[in-house]
Amino acid sequence: MPAQAILAQFEAAAEGPLSWATEWKRTHGTRLLGTFPMHFPGEMAHAAGCLPLILQEQQDPITVGHGMIYPFYCGYTRSIVDQACKGEFEALDAIMFGDHCVQVLGAADVVRAKLPNTWVHFYQLISSMSDPWSLSRARETFAQLKAGIEEMTGQPLADDAIRSSIRLFNRNRDLLRQLYELRREGRIQFSARQMQLAVKSSMVMDKALHNELLKQLLAQLLSARPSTGSGVRVYLSGHFCQAPKTGILDLIEDCGGIVVDDDLYHGTRFISTDVDEVGDPLTALAQWYLARNLKVPCPTRVDQKADWETYLLGAMERAKAEGMIVLMAKFCEPHMYYYPEIKEAFERRGVPHLLIETEHELNMLEGLRTRVESFLEVVKRRAGAPTRRVA
Amino acid sequence: MSTVASAPVKANRLKTSSLNNQLVNDYWAEVFEAKQNGKLVCWYEGVAINPLMQAADVAWVHGEAWSALLAARNNEEPAQTAAEHRGYLKELCSYARTHIGCGVLAQKRGAEASGSSFADALGAGLLGERVPAPDMFISAYPYCSTGQQWDEMLYRLFGKRIPIFNISVPWVWGNKKDSQYLGGSEFNEAVQFMVRQLRECMNFIAEHTGRKYDFDRLCEIMSYVKQAGRLRMEAMDLCMAKPAPASFFDWTTSLAPVNFIKGGPAIVDYFTKVKAEVQERLAAGEGAVRNEQYRLFWDGIMNWNKIGWLANKFAGYEANMVAGRYTHMGFWHEWESIDVQDPLAGMAINYLVCPINLSAPLMIEEIIKLCRKYEIDGMVLHAARTCRAFSNPQYLIAEAVQKRLGIPVAFIEGDMVDESFYKDEIVSSRVEAMLEAIESRRRAGIAA
Ligand code: SF4
Ligand code: SF4
Repeated sequence: MPAQAILAQFEAAAEGPLSWATEWKRTHGTRLLGTFPMHFPGEMAHAAGCLPLILQEQQDPITVGHGMIYPFYCGYTRSIVDQACKGEFEALDAIMFGDHCVQVLGAADVVRAKLPNTWVHFYQLISSMSDPWSLSRARETFAQLKAGIEEMTGQPLADDAIRSSIRLFNRNRDLLRQLYELRREGRIQFSARQMQLAVKSSMVMDKALHNELLKQLLAQLLSARPSTGSGVRVYLSGHFCQAPKTGILDLIEDCGGIVVDDDLYHGTRFISTDVDEVGDPLTALAQWYLARNLKVPCPTRVDQKADWETYLLGAMERAKAEGMIVLMAKFCEPHMYYYPEIKEAFERRGVPHLLIETEHELNMLEGLRTRVESFLEVVKRRAGAPTRRVA
Repeated sequence: MSTVASAPVKANRLKTSSLNNQLVNDYWAEVFEAKQNGKLVCWYEGVAINPLMQAADVAWVHGEAWSALLAARNNEEPAQTAAEHRGYLKELCSYARTHIGCGVLAQKRGAEASGSSFADALGAGLLGERVPAPDMFISAYPYCSTGQQWDEMLYRLFGKRIPIFNISVPWVWGNKKDSQYLGGSEFNEAVQFMVRQLRECMNFIAEHTGRKYDFDRLCEIMSYVKQAGRLRMEAMDLCMAKPAPASFFDWTTSLAPVNFIKGGPAIVDYFTKVKAEVQERLAAGEGAVRNEQYRLFWDGIMNWNKIGWLANKFAGYEANMVAGRYTHMGFWHEWESIDVQDPLAGMAINYLVCPINLSAPLMIEEIIKLCRKYEIDGMVLHAARTCRAFSNPQYLIAEAVQKRLGIPVAFIEGDMVDESFYKDEIVSSRVEAMLEAIESRRRAGIAA
């Protein structure tokens, strides 16, 4: 299949996740299990024969949801509440979530209230990652989740089935990481928008199908000769539960930036870590949960062993990025907390960064263009000058 | 409906509440002297884990109490500005911003980064000069990720050198059919998990004090806490009377002794006196507001800059804020669950059912019980701009009380310690609309 056709499939799933999943359910007869981002393993739901679907922020304006959530919440939670109020989750057989940010907890309560006929369960993952009991507690939570899934399907969930889903999901992460690696090395040409579509569609689509499409895509991209375009190498950071609007990604590249890497949830964060394929799958998942926070530290966790700012500086170096653009979803508390740490670390090292606060409603692109252009100018000039390091 | 009288109306606040000031001052005085007295200092926020520290002779600084104190003394601004300069945005929890801002100011002094003093935290304020920096952090924040991260940020701000202990408090959600308030297998499991962590926390404290943890002392402290908890609930129960002799605003000013003041005879004495005053008022038929016409419920966290202002404002409407989620559903309100021979499970239970940690269905049932008990006519929901933990279930609560009890509600905007979010004209118009709705229900003969 030509690359364009594959990308069109990705786009259909990424931009219309509920319709894509509903159609899949109709044609394949699988149950749909919706989850919240950002730490919930889809492997178990898949092993139980369900299609796991990470619920996404939708672009439409918040309307009915206004009656259930205040405007001073991040776009993701408001959109989820809005979708629940509009009845858009009706096709889902279950919603199971386990994340901890206070705003999603609010959304979870509304979702349960609005979907009285859906199986809405909550499994709270321990968010303090470096305690002596963090691993055992995470395993206990996954065991409860397994029991909940078994209760929902009425079928026992065999370890072998979970291991086989783990293998499939690992393969998917691996293929997506290959895309990243090739882009970083400049061996393929792949825009930030395309990368988002590839990752976001993986949160929706059946994994076997997604893997197949990814394999074909990689082959096509490798056979095409990348153009030798030049630009400022940009690293994108931030945006957790919600994908940044693709218009922003396009704008950055239009202004002369080349996005070479990111730590976005709809990006590297989602695919950073694999799950052990042998042994007790629940332990493997608990280990995965803790390990990925050391790979790409998450500001919604507390972890005395991880430093997001140190990670970012290292990741920029590895990607040979010249400047970082921080995309912060307005009202996102974990991000507001950590941003000053990043700002200070980057200023100390003399690494330029630009903070962009994004909003669900506003079409802020025009005002943004000038800011991005002047930031890229600054980065370009700095790159030409000897690196200034602040002690 | 009565409107605000032209002469300012004053709420008839409990006189005994002023004794609370003494307790608060004594507490801070002891905190200020802690280092000179060779004590270690622990910083923490959220639920009342202070008995754990007290039993080990460790002094404690409660973050919210500190931020509220600064707000009460009109001194929050320098800290909030310092936080803003470091890049903390205004939409972040104002308690945390204020407290972290103090940390930022302390760090600016360089030498103090190691945590020996807290000077400059209030500009030249004497108060700030004397608050000791931490020797340890204990984080035990229920429900709110922002609370847990607040501790983490302080830990990072102080150079990751000061030991931190995290207690993870599970949210009381209820997947299982047997889930109920204070019961069911999930709740019992959560209590056990909490008890395990509290025990580990005692080991952590013992390790850092270098002394064996004194469990008997903890039991003794908790016996005072239990008595204070009982007396407070009994005094609040007396407000079922009409007119209610005390208000939600009196109960908010009485929180310190069940929140961060030392567990001992003084807190028992305090609530004995408070209860006696409430009883006296009851006997005399004296209410917390003159000519009580409306009985209201306050949902949400307190607006500390505005306590007196709001108490008087509602008194002006002849409206008595009789009860609230904040005051009546937390602060050792489940005192009966505390076994003074072995208090850890009872402590865990109280932490787990604090006013934000119940999922909406369980929380709503408790609120409805309170509304019925206190014969509430209307509900004010304080949408605290930077406290999503309290704001989260408010639309569900409003929907439930309107449907099930038929009472009108008023949403008002404000904040804990950031005054800029409070808009008095909007508050007035929303409250007046609610009172008008109560009146029309009465005219239609619906309400009692
Ligand atoms: S982590 Fe940020 S984006 Fe995610 S739910 Fe919380 S506030 Fe929203
Ligand atoms: S947002 Fe509210 S509950 Fe959370 S830390 Fe701040 S005051 Fe506490």
